[in-house]
Amino acid sequence: MATDPAAVEHARQEPRTADDDLHRPIVGLALAGATVAVLVLGILDLPRAAAALPDIARHAMEIALPKWGQNEVVSEVVYGSRGWDTFGETFLLLAAVVSVVTLTRSPETRTEYVGESMAGREEQAEVDPKGGGGDSDEQESRQAEEQEEEEEKGGDVAPNADDVPLGMRAPERAAGMSVVVRVGARIAAVPLLVAGFYLCLWGYTPGGGFPAGAVIMGVALVMYTAFGHQAVGRAVRPSVVEPIEMFGAMAIIAIGLFGLLFKDSMFANFLTLAVPGTIRAGGTNQLFSGSELIEVATGLTIATFSLLGMKHDWAPDEDDDGGDNGSDGSDNGSDGSDGREEQS
Amino acid sequence: MIVANYVAAAVLFSLGLLTVLTRRNLIKIILGLSLMEASTYLLMVSMAYRRGSTAPVLTSPPDGKSSSDLVHGNVADPVLQNFCLTAIVIGVAVTAVFLSAAVRVAQHYRSVDADDMTALKG
Repeated sequence: MATDPAAVEHARQEPRTADDDLHRPIVGLALAGATVAVLVLGILDLPRAAAALPDIARHAMEIALPKWGQNEVVSEVVYGSRGWDTFGETFLLLAAVVSVVTLTRSPETRTEYVGESMAGREEQAEVDPKGGGGDSDEQESRQAEEQEEEEEKGGDVAPNADDVPLGMRAPERAAGMSVVVRVGARIAAVPLLVAGFYLCLWGYTPGGGFPAGAVIMGVALVMYTAFGHQAVGRAVRPSVVEPIEMFGAMAIIAIGLFGLLFKDSMFANFLTLAVPGTIRAGGTNQLFSGSELIEVATGLTIATFSLLGMKHDWAPDEDDDGGDNGSDGSDNGSDGSDGREEQS
Repeated sequence: MIVANYVAAAVLFSLGLLTVLTRRNLIKIILGLSLMEASTYLLMVSMAYRRGSTAPVLTSPPDGKSSSDLVHGNVADPVLQNFCLTAIVIGVAVTAVFLSAAVRVAQHYRSVDADDMTALKG
């Protein structure tokens, strides 16, 4: 992203006229109004509440039980009738997750999504081994950093939020939230986790793995919010969730290919149908749904935690790089604080 | 009056478009895109609705009826519900891509104002 900072500055300082402020709302309103008009004209011809069910929907109703042994028709459509389409959407999700990972990846090597920042620490220790300089704010932030380092090493400086005795004065530790939130999260996490797996495993819930994956990701997010990154750091790290996601994607490909191999059609059912309403009902649909659970849960977790862990990789100032205005700012990830302070 | 839902979806879509066209803040533009996306969920779920229908589930038929009666009975459209389900998950992931791009752009330009992004200007 090579950009001439002078051009950016020029664009920022260009005086805005009254016409500039008016033309956007006028053009925007005209276009949005025209869009409403066209859409309303179109939707008046859509089937209404009294219309007959489309043939494709009736067909799905008819084949759900005899062909797939599944009494939840929405799930049958997702993983059976439209299995090939769901396959495409799954890999669209994977592409989006890979894009997020690529965009958010830190220049330094990291083993967790959130909470780690090692760049410059060795150099800082060489320059200022005791860390005594600076004003009170700087010393305070240095103490916080040291505490984080201790925690990362597994030291005994309040290794998790629950070790802080109740009734202590503020400030509370930033890593975890108050005891009320922590207890609430503990209570909510278990039923949420069970509900997530139930949605997927018990073969008559609409969508199966899709909503279930979103619920599992929600549990990870609740735990992170309540307890801080340490509580989820062991499980939610690239070396754990990324291989699991790849496993989910490969399982979906394998289910499709086995259908082609045994039944001459991608995603055709090659398993014996079990009694509808039981955990094995739906044949390969259940396998597909379970793989989708893995894919969606890990994919959304990677996307969310990658965003949460984005570092302040600000572009360098003009003065910072000795006048080399065309340099790529995205590589300057080690020192974020300067950029933040100077941003107005 | 399911038409009211259809019109609401059209208005929501256009409000999202209006946001994208008139706002220069990248976060607001992403919110506008999410609004346009959400309007399609409303439209699809509304189109799936049938008056007096049951959910498209072939379990526990009422007394005197069989699963076969449910198959040919008055049910909501399962195909459109399926579209909506998958669209929501894909929508979340795509919004995450937009947001991470916005953060990177903000870090590069030190601004979230689209007017400051002049690299592609001819």
